Amino acid sequence: MSHHTFRHRGVIKVRCLVESGELALCAAGGFCHFYFTLLCPIILCTMTKLLEWVFGVSLIGIAWGLVTFDLLDLQLPPRYKEVAWPMPIYLLVVFGCYSLATVGYRVATFNDCEDAAQELQAQIKQAKDDLKKKGLKM
Amino acid sequence: QATGADQAVGFGLVGFSLLLFTYYTIWVIVLPFVDSDHVVHSYFLPREYSVILPGVAALILLLVVGTFIGVVTWKNRKPRKVD
Repeated sequence: MSHHTFRHRGVIKVRCLVESGELALCAAGGFCHFYFTLLCPIILCTMTKLLEWVFGVSLIGIAWGLVTFDLLDLQLPPRYKEVAWPMPIYLLVVFGCYSLATVGYRVATFNDCEDAAQELQAQIKQAKDDLKKKGLKM
Repeated sequence: QATGADQAVGFGLVGFSLLLFTYYTIWVIVLPFVDSDHVVHSYFLPREYSVILPGVAALILLLVVGTFIGVVTWKNRKPRKVD
């Protein structure tokens, strides 16, 4: 079988989702990373990416909880509380929309590769015949 | 160049997600700052639905994915060989 880099559409879609996730992560991570590079020598522990993430997310979560449930009696005007309490679901929906748009755009602008498609079909047929010979029932 | 159907589906997805994003952003972020007797409020459901509807949609999505996995696993189950 010839070895060639053929980007099958399924791989592209998965890559898009991963990329959009990574972009979102990088945006938040870049902001928090500055503070963690200052905190790490103070805390004197190996701050892994997971720990950074848990720390950042819990900070944001605490800030959201303080605003939504009025734990500090800040007495914000009710309009700001109205905006704040759906925030987690809002961010989730926005992230979903961004992922959907990225996948849709990549599907629309992905060029067809006729030769590679035919070569892939031939390889699929070859693999099927080979497996049938070895007894696999399709 | 991508074929016609691919372009239609792709740009349809982009347009749909843009529409959804605009509607949801106005619903969640813009409406609280608009006077409650403005006419634009009649185009949006009460605020509780802005949380309930995505929650229900996520649940339905999980159900569909789980059902699909269950059906495929069920179809591919193999009875244990009796020697």
